[in-house]
Amino acid sequence: MSPGELIIELFLMPLVAFVVGLGMVLMYRRIGARIQRRVGPPFFQPIYDIIKLYGKHTQISHGLIHEIGIIMAVGGYVAAETLLPVPGMSGLADKGGVVTLAYVMMIPSLGLALGVGQCANPNGSIGISRALTAMLAYDIPFILVIFGAAYVYGTTNLADIIAIQQQQGPGGWGIVQMPLLALAALLSLQGIMGKQPFEIYIAPAEIATGPMVEMSGKFMGGLFVMQCFQLYTVGVLYTTLFLGGGEYWLTFLPKIFSVVAIPMMIAFVFPRYRTEDVIRLLWKWPVLIALTGLAVVLR
Amino acid sequence: MSNELENIPIRQELEVLQSGQKRTNPLANVFDGLVKFCRSRSMFMLHYCTGCGAIELPPAMTSRFDMERLGIQPMVTPRQADILLITGYVSIKTLKRIILTYEQMGSPKYVIGICSCTVNGGMYWQSYATAKVLRDYLPVDVYIAGCMPRPEAVISGLRELMEDISSGRAESWKKYYQHYDYYLGNQQKLFGEDWQTPTDIIAEARHYDLMTEHTLGEHTALLEKHQKPLEALEMRLSVKDKQKV
Ligand code: SF4
Repeated sequence: MSPGELIIELFLMPLVAFVVGLGMVLMYRRIGARIQRRVGPPFFQPIYDIIKLYGKHTQISHGLIHEIGIIMAVGGYVAAETLLPVPGMSGLADKGGVVTLAYVMMIPSLGLALGVGQCANPNGSIGISRALTAMLAYDIPFILVIFGAAYVYGTTNLADIIAIQQQQGPGGWGIVQMPLLALAALLSLQGIMGKQPFEIYIAPAEIATGPMVEMSGKFMGGLFVMQCFQLYTVGVLYTTLFLGGGEYWLTFLPKIFSVVAIPMMIAFVFPRYRTEDVIRLLWKWPVLIALTGLAVVLR
Repeated sequence: MSNELENIPIRQELEVLQSGQKRTNPLANVFDGLVKFCRSRSMFMLHYCTGCGAIELPPAMTSRFDMERLGIQPMVTPRQADILLITGYVSIKTLKRIILTYEQMGSPKYVIGICSCTVNGGMYWQSYATAKVLRDYLPVDVYIAGCMPRPEAVISGLRELMEDISSGRAESWKKYYQHYDYYLGNQQKLFGEDWQTPTDIIAEARHYDLMTEHTLGEHTALLEKHQKPLEALEMRLSVKDKQKV
């Protein structure tokens, strides 16, 4: 690939991710509305919210680290998008691989922790400590899943993983080859996306949205943008590992949207668990399932 | 109340004072129009309910009337919110919290007074403990009268606010800066002359270029006289029974 093409792809991939992510946020809110027998927000609501937040007159900054924290939160995901191959664009996927991706996906939480720390709001500190604890909980099954998948495909290169699955057709997809790992991954997705029952760190009624408590205007807008990227990243990663990636956007988009839709449907019918219960649950069931899955694929 | 406070006259009429400068670049006007439209279609309202009118909000938010259709959703902190709903009578103690909350919200911010009690005191007119006319303490954008107004009325009031925002009429948040002396005066009458909030409204008025001759006055002078510098709360853990720890 020539450097010019690479630069265009590095620019286009996050942009596409943002637009698709906006659609996912809309889907998330519509699913919630339908489950609660409401109509739900209009089609362009996610973009209205973001423009409104960036257009506020008051932008309360709590200092440099607060701003850097938000940049890290969004930037971490922007970096992750360039490592995720999508139909027609592979960006840095050849050089990165799934292990790098797993690291890069932790940056947003750490950035948020930095930023929230400077806000010095006790609710924020409680929230972010819960968020980092939850990260510890869902990352263990997630890493086990990545290890298993890498073992089965014999590579950590995401572009190769897609190529292997596509050569063999749907019978060769990860979800058929290693169903237990796919299930464990789905459970830890719920944690990665921070949706109920694992959203104790946001808990609007108890700790006033935790990490977001002091965020206003463009900082909140940055977090809304981050949410778009987050949903997209999670959907694409799962599709790449287990659903054969995508040859064309026409088949790829339904796959990523349905991957994201499953945890959302679960989310709206659940209350939330306490932090220790989150850890206990995620370290028990997904880890057990993932270990069994590993035993099956390693045999 | 001291004589000093009683002697200060209070002005009555209040209007948003326009600075009179319009942007000349047509693209900038298009952009402003877009931002205004988005502002009107995305309103985050603060979860802060006073009085009995709050009970009409759950039906307005949930499946029967569904405010999210209009882009209105609840938010939990003043930093994130755009509209402050005052849903009923305001006791003097509550009013202090409302003012603290209002001052922490990011502008542009809008206040909606729901219920007759916020208009003129309603059936609490003779109560010693309620603040009667909300407009004296905060600039109010829309009043929704009724004891209590039904969800239809609440939603039609919100739609009116949406229209005001997109047509640029809902600018009463500027009044708070432009006429700060008036609002502060009324607050001082109620809470005493040493009333102060952590937010420095005068500095903010300077920042937004909203200083007028009515921003500063005798009441703000009184505020300066009594103002104590803000100090961080001391954090201390005390372990009473050391044996048990
Ligand atoms: S107007 Fe009626 S319903 Fe509303 S706060 Fe007053 S007494 Fe309650």
